[in-house]
Amino acid sequence: MKVFLKHDDLKKLLEGIAREGRLFAPVKKDWYSGWARVSSMGEIVLRGEQAQLKGEEVNSREPAKVFVFPQSEVMFEFDEERAVEATEVPAVVVFGLRSCDGRAMAFLERFFVENRPEDPLVRQRREKATLIGVACNSPADSCFCTAVGGGPHERKGLDVLLREVNGGFLGEAETEKGEKLLAGFPAANEKDEAEAEKRRQEAEGKMALRIDLKRLKEVLDKGFNSPVWERLALECVNCGACTFLCPTCHCFDVTDETVRGKKKRSRVWDSCQFTLYSQHASGHNPRLNPAARYRNRVMDKFKYTVDMVGELSCVGCGRCVRVCPAGIDIRVAVAEILREEEAGKDGQ
Amino acid sequence: MGNNPYKPVPVRIERVTIENDARDLKSFDLRFVDEGEREKWNFLPGQFVFLSIAGVGEAPFGIASAPDEELLKFTVKRVGAFTTALHEMEEGMVIGVRGPFGSAYPFELMQKRDVLIVSGGFSFTTLRAVIVHILKKENRPNYGRLVVVYGARTPGELLYKEELRAWSKSPELELNLCADRVCGADFFAQGNEGETAVQEGLVPDILKGVKIEVGNAVALVCGPPIMLRYTHPVLKEMGFKPEQVFLSLENRMKCGIGKCGRCNIGPKYVCKDGPVFSFEELLRLPEEY
Repeated sequence: MKVFLKHDDLKKLLEGIAREGRLFAPVKKDWYSGWARVSSMGEIVLRGEQAQLKGEEVNSREPAKVFVFPQSEVMFEFDEERAVEATEVPAVVVFGLRSCDGRAMAFLERFFVENRPEDPLVRQRREKATLIGVACNSPADSCFCTAVGGGPHERKGLDVLLREVNGGFLGEAETEKGEKLLAGFPAANEKDEAEAEKRRQEAEGKMALRIDLKRLKEVLDKGFNSPVWERLALECVNCGACTFLCPTCHCFDVTDETVRGKKKRSRVWDSCQFTLYSQHASGHNPRLNPAARYRNRVMDKFKYTVDMVGELSCVGCGRCVRVCPAGIDIRVAVAEILREEEAGKDGQ
Repeated sequence: MGNNPYKPVPVRIERVTIENDARDLKSFDLRFVDEGEREKWNFLPGQFVFLSIAGVGEAPFGIASAPDEELLKFTVKRVGAFTTALHEMEEGMVIGVRGPFGSAYPFELMQKRDVLIVSGGFSFTTLRAVIVHILKKENRPNYGRLVVVYGARTPGELLYKEELRAWSKSPELELNLCADRVCGADFFAQGNEGETAVQEGLVPDILKGVKIEVGNAVALVCGPPIMLRYTHPVLKEMGFKPEQVFLSLENRMKCGIGKCGRCNIGPKYVCKDGPVFSFEELLRLPEEY
């Protein structure tokens, strides 16, 4: 059921959650926007309607995956050599994710939990989180969710999607958790629904890019040894920023520490762009060449995860486009990969 | 979180064996601290585990013991921080283990067939498990000939010397040992009282001299990349088809369950889809190992 929340109603709902200390939302952190616990609505950085928005004004720089897969987390502590549970995961309500991050959550759930054996840490965190998404009405220039099968008003992976209209939000639940949250709000009327639909169409209209995903997959299936990778990777400095800010990148390193005699095992984000990531103990490295590492990332997003779990792992959030210090744009890369294959055909 | 695949269970080091003169290869025989834990461990040779030392870390190792052996055996070369810490541990001390992970050698396919084992260096560990498993009295009739070609840089670098001595006198298998260099003074190299002498030569060259009815055989191959490169042409020459040849790979890994990313060969994870692959499968995958 679709419900209507006046701006004030939403404010009250969120303030109630914030009072319990469970509300997380995008805020300004030094020079970037990321996720933090908020106590008042004024801290939340979430803009919807202004024209000419830059990427960070539309979506947080830090991906929302931090709520199911934090940058660093203690997996467990040790009692002698026996692993004992670390502290329990707290229940959180996350407000202000965009649909791309919602889709990324669905991917992570598929990859970590449904794809057996399950990762109990991700499952627990997802169970304890309620995700309230806010639809995008003004995507940034770097956004391209519609080109990879998503949309600015998509609900997938979220518990609730809020779509801003005149005077408030249209609320739609995607899960039982979401239904509980929206219980008690009045039903939306047709006028509001029509307006939300109009805004969705306008937002989608702002993203012109189209990618023939089926053809891209076919090209990548045969394209491991294509000369395109060396060329595309020339500018890449293998800094790994794209992988850290990617909402679906799931790689991690495992590391131990001893603090005041207490031994802990943690996991921490890692990146396929780093040399050590794949280096054997013998020193041998299957992906020693930077181009091989760049290729691995693009292949993973558009081919490998499709082969593994049946889903693309690019959600079109545009973060890698916005943060790359070398100005590499994955949309351009994809176009180049397809063009290379066309050129190859001409040459035959 | 009762079934957390990241959590190690404690094992006591029952026996430490120094395997070579350089003393950088040690075998550890481990016994589970918790009663009943051993019964939960159903594995087949080829699979691997993570060994863990609290506060130091963990690393993956192939299981060198056969399923029916009471203790779990691992042979570890000292190369990095974890293996150095492990080498410093003594009998009686407790470490952690989690697993078993990954795929095993193709025992169903191997039924009633001749089994050719080709191994170089300290990759012999999981293949030792295969040999012990096949040599078990109840299992032996299920397989044809068992032919082993095993080489190292020097005779002293060969693992499990006592077992090699015993096997070389056994009619149940045909053992071909070799080393890149054989020093005449090495007692083990000479062979003694009917033991197999260690031949001087590289694994692929010794393999050329092996007679086997290829149509009814399966080859299990494990070794350093350079050995593999020169072994494949020999196997091909002998008549082995790619689907009859199985390799055990090792890529860097952290989780063992296909989540942490790094061990992928294209869209396959070595930890989950491997570590044992048929050569036919590998030919279809990019060379990322």
